[in-house]
Amino acid sequence: MTTFWDILHLLTATPLVFVAIGGLTWGILGGALPGISASITMALVLPFTYTMDPAQAIALLACVYIGAEYGGSIPAILIRTPGTNSSAATVIDGYELNRQGRAGEALGISLMSGVIGSLFGLAMLILLTEPLSWLALAFTPASYFGLGILGLSVIASMSGGSLIKGLAAAIVGLMIATVGTDPISGVTRFTLDIPDLLSGIDPVLVMVGLFALTELMSQSGSSNTKLLNETIKIKLPSFAMMNRLRRSQAIGCVLGLFEGLTPGGGGSIAAFMSYNEAKRWSKTPELFGKGSEEGVAAPETANNTVASTALIPLLSFGIPSSNSTAVLLGGLLMHGLIPGPRLFEQSAQVIDSIYVGSFIAIIAQIGVGIIILPACIWLVNRPRPYRTGFIFALILSGIFTLNNSLFDLGIALGLGLVGYLMRLTRFPVLPMILGVVLGHMVESSYRRSLVLSGGDHVIFLQDPIGVCLLGIALIFVGFSLRREFRDARKTKLKEASS
Amino acid sequence: MNKDVVSGAILIAVSGIYYAWSNQIAESTLSDEVGAAGLPHVLAILLAILGALLIVRALLASAARTASASGSDDDDHNNAGLPRAIGFLLLGALYVFILPFTGYITGVALLIAAVAIYEGAPRNWTVPVAAIGGGLLYWAIFVKLLGVHQPAGTIFQGLLP
Repeated sequence: MTTFWDILHLLTATPLVFVAIGGLTWGILGGALPGISASITMALVLPFTYTMDPAQAIALLACVYIGAEYGGSIPAILIRTPGTNSSAATVIDGYELNRQGRAGEALGISLMSGVIGSLFGLAMLILLTEPLSWLALAFTPASYFGLGILGLSVIASMSGGSLIKGLAAAIVGLMIATVGTDPISGVTRFTLDIPDLLSGIDPVLVMVGLFALTELMSQSGSSNTKLLNETIKIKLPSFAMMNRLRRSQAIGCVLGLFEGLTPGGGGSIAAFMSYNEAKRWSKTPELFGKGSEEGVAAPETANNTVASTALIPLLSFGIPSSNSTAVLLGGLLMHGLIPGPRLFEQSAQVIDSIYVGSFIAIIAQIGVGIIILPACIWLVNRPRPYRTGFIFALILSGIFTLNNSLFDLGIALGLGLVGYLMRLTRFPVLPMILGVVLGHMVESSYRRSLVLSGGDHVIFLQDPIGVCLLGIALIFVGFSLRREFRDARKTKLKEASS
Repeated sequence: MNKDVVSGAILIAVSGIYYAWSNQIAESTLSDEVGAAGLPHVLAILLAILGALLIVRALLASAARTASASGSDDDDHNNAGLPRAIGFLLLGALYVFILPFTGYITGVALLIAAVAIYEGAPRNWTVPVAAIGGGLLYWAIFVKLLGVHQPAGTIFQGLLP
């Protein structure tokens, strides 16, 4: 159990303060670059965390996530181009406010709403995660198998309209996870006698390849010449304004909590839902779309809330509910931290660092957000060819840092090509990443369960937690299938009517 | 040809290769009932089924809307970026190839310059300045600050720290 003194020590520990503010700064800068999503910003920094203390590394990633969610709103407001997917809803009224010469005000509302959303999300994270983790004590290998399957069931809701493609991508991910040494017998599989493959393919390489490299390849040749106005300064909202925004911020908090807990929810859905609901409950709905402050506050509160609440299913059960949390999961695994209940038993320091680091980052966000705005504007205004060259060099340098291996660079580049082809053929990449990340847990817990039961599959039905988790996974898949059939029917009807 | 049909065929081919490869996994006396090849076999079969389903679905869908041409336009537009994207990736592959010879600073500088020119930067003094600056900046961050051993390179061995 975390004591007051533990928290005080972490709060006053200088490295964690540096880590939190550094992560936040990097997150804001990355999020502000159009096309570089929160997950890519996290994936870029992931290799650097390899040599760090695990607690600080995970705290850093969590702080990057927080920063990126705010950073995405900067180009959304200033050049009508969302820096991250979840700031797409902010474009609607944020850019309108900018056109009315109130960009500084819009940025201030976005910043303060983000802080409120993040604080609420952090409070929920602290309140809900530990009680959920109490289930840990009762976990058996069969429960872990159920947990892995539940994690994989997220695929159903993240398949981008095609469950077949989502499942196929996940299976390819599971196939990648089988490369290396077998977890039970120790024999090598698919290694081609290459020593670099004996310990398998690092999930970090898969994430960097599929997210970051694929994005750079997709942007290659594009010409984005929108420039930011370099004279803009953030204007923090007054108390009276904050009072006026409280309803929309409350809506953002509630929906952000809900979507953060829901696999496949994510910041984008939360932001758009909050925007809609804020409009519905607003006293001035007619202003929405024409420069409403509430139209900026609601989505920004929601997506920042998600940045914290999405960690609840991740830390409690090891279920990544979004791309960003999948990267965080990769970070946990890279440091040998098994996500899920055991994390609280064996690595309480990591959990404390996430909580305290996030708190520091959220509070520091007000100051850093104001100070760093000119740097963000400078960075976004750099000519794209040079920016791309520097990012590419950063990615390749970071990958080499992992194992000082040129072979890793080759794998990441190969996976970049795979990711690009997947994008061309509309295969979702997240299921593949989940397959790579969860593959080991699913296979080893499945086989360990069978070893314990002497090969009898009934063991999976005798474990109450495992049965519950498998049941929830079934419900997720069922709902997703229903939605897919419904969408397909709607499309068919639309085609028939036109 | 429909992209989904091609994708399905590729999935089936991958599953076949993977299945054949998994048959070569050695048996171990420590092995359990499932065995090291157990999951790979299941995965290969599932992938083949999904590949077949994808083909069937794509053929049924294309048969239902044979008159529509909008989809192919979209596909052509997407495919247009493929050679450019592969070219971009090849610059990365070239960097991996030359890194042991040129060393880190020169390698990164060449990569930044090559990418900048490839992405349309005007060919003037800015390119070498940005490239050399980038190489030195990353060397300072990775080698000096983070203590990561990056390749020194065989060409300039002994000249650079």
